[in-house]
Amino acid sequence: MTPRSAARVEVTVDGRPVLVRPGTSVAAALLEQGRWDFRVDPVSGRDRGPYCGMGVCLECEVTVDARPHVRACLERVREGMRIDTAASGEDT
Amino acid sequence: MSADTAAPAALTADAAVVGAGPAGLAAALELARAGLDVLLLDEQAEPGGQYYRRPGPEVLDAVGDHRPEGGRLVARVRAAGVRVLSGHTVWGVDDDRRTLLAASPGGAAVRVRARWVVAATGAYERSVPFPGWQLPGVVTPGLAQHMSAEGVRLGRRAVVAGSGPFLLPVACALLERGVRVVAVAEAGRPYTPGPASLGALRFPARLAELASYAARLARHGVRVHQDTVVARAHGADRVEAVTLTRFSDPERVVARHGVDLLCVGYGFRPQADLPRLLGCAVDRDPATGDTVPRLTPTGRSSVPHVYVVGEAAGAAGAPTALARGRAAALDILASSGRAPDRGERRRLAVHLASLAGFTRLTAALYPAPAELVPALARRLPGPTLVCRCECVTADAVRAAAAAEGGSDVPAVKGGTRAGMGLCQARECGPALEALRAGGPGTGTVPARVPLRPLPLAAVLELADTPGEDV
Ligand SMILES: Cc1cc2nc3c(=O)[nH]c(=O)nc-3n(C[C@H](O)[C@H](O)[C@H](O)COP(=O)(O)OP(=O)(O)OC[C@H]3O[C@@H](n4cnc5c(N)ncnc54)[C@H](O)[C@@H]3O)c2cc1C
Ligand code: FES
Repeated sequence: MTPRSAARVEVTVDGRPVLVRPGTSVAAALLEQGRWDFRVDPVSGRDRGPYCGMGVCLECEVTVDARPHVRACLERVREGMRIDTAASGEDT
Repeated sequence: MSADTAAPAALTADAAVVGAGPAGLAAALELARAGLDVLLLDEQAEPGGQYYRRPGPEVLDAVGDHRPEGGRLVARVRAAGVRVLSGHTVWGVDDDRRTLLAASPGGAAVRVRARWVVAATGAYERSVPFPGWQLPGVVTPGLAQHMSAEGVRLGRRAVVAGSGPFLLPVACALLERGVRVVAVAEAGRPYTPGPASLGALRFPARLAELASYAARLARHGVRVHQDTVVARAHGADRVEAVTLTRFSDPERVVARHGVDLLCVGYGFRPQADLPRLLGCAVDRDPATGDTVPRLTPTGRSSVPHVYVVGEAAGAAGAPTALARGRAAALDILASSGRAPDRGERRRLAVHLASLAGFTRLTAALYPAPAELVPALARRLPGPTLVCRCECVTADAVRAAAAAEGGSDVPAVKGGTRAGMGLCQARECGPALEALRAGGPGTGTVPARVPLRPLPLAAVLELADTPGEDV
């Protein structure tokens, strides 16, 4: 393993600090934590998680640094990034 | 922000290429080398598209770069002077049917006007709904491929299902990450008498590659079921199990597996909304049921300044996408008086024809989507969510399709809200088209502005652009 492969950056997920691998998508970072509840479907009230992985289904939308409706599969993690899923209660 | 992502509000160029996959990269490179001023827009964080999708450099360092040629192509495109705008979503077209409307990563409006537009927007995976497909943990094979390439182990036990050659490499990618793939279910019978038979046939290199995936699955004890489809995903808040049945005999259960990951996809559909908004004539492909732009062999559409290349012109794989991108670029150069080498254009035409032969050969192994999708849609239980965005059931869609005017897809959408949600019918479209009664009326889901839900800032800046079906 190269030294960089062990590197981690700190982001905040639903208010809690989490160490994630740099260079990954926000979706990968959340899935690696075992998180699949990215958003709540407003019609059924049930959890939804990423489906297409390429930006067309919109099931992976989260709030990033207070910007709502960011597709987690297209967005890269950055040091200090604040990610809020439906579980934070802020994303409606 | 890097230079890639900082953009003024109004841009002009000789050529605007939308989509930085193999097709868009190849077209942009050829045009820039000939001295044209080229803008390349793509909504992903980095150029590469689906085939050359590139995670950040830290990930490539840590888990390896399985397609280094993609990185080299991107470097050549930049070196040729192409202006690359990553993170830019093209969501519409202005009333002149020429100016592209885009949103920057920060959500600001960007207008792009160019002498030529090259649509290289690729494809997305063909989904067919089934009960439980909306559960977290149910994904497309492409998602499994991309997340595995980013080094993520998506689950502990998985089933990969659907149809087409893509299922085999995806199952292998999951195995490589330590996911236990308990079965691959293929709706057709391409591997009769068994997957190993592929190797015995004197097929070209790509099928030999497929045979090597099949061999790897066999070594890991992964069962490849043929004539088998997903009947239902079970689970409360996450997928917990899957029931597989015979495609030819839906009453017959093949297996039920406990899983925490289920990957289902039925091949690729061209993403041709942008050419439709630009006014390009389209046809229905009889084998796939997809709406495809009407094109010359070099990708020129019915609107002379608009070209469509790569998978957006019809799913055919990355080598074809590269060749189509170059062919369109050479055509543009020829029509602008920068006559490229004629021998070069002829060689490319021969190359494209041989690739098309191979695509037909591969397609013939698998069931034609135009027959498969309606067969699956017809047997959906009434409460199945056909439209996962608006939670519209199969029963509701059937009722609307049976009502007066129900042979018209837009009428079914309007009556039920099916296909009117966030994904704009990209996931439920094939099923919606299959469930309508048939007969007169529009049989296809129209392209609609905006192509993607927009950041608020961009909407406000361009608030007077009305939504419009094409
Ligand atoms: C999820 C997925 C995974 C795939 N994985 C493989 C694989 O592993 N192996 C394989 O052989 N084939 C794979 N394919 C098939 C693949 O599409 C082709 O082989 C190849 O990538 C096609 O090249 P292309 O240049 O036509 O389009 P793509 O590579 O799909 O590139 C199109 C680009 O256009 C961008 N785009 C689309 N619409 C817009 C818009 N409105 N605004 C801005 N940008 C836009 C997209 O973000 C994308 O980057 C995959 C397809 C998908 C959908
Ligand atoms: S997973 Fe479909 S848009 Fe991100």
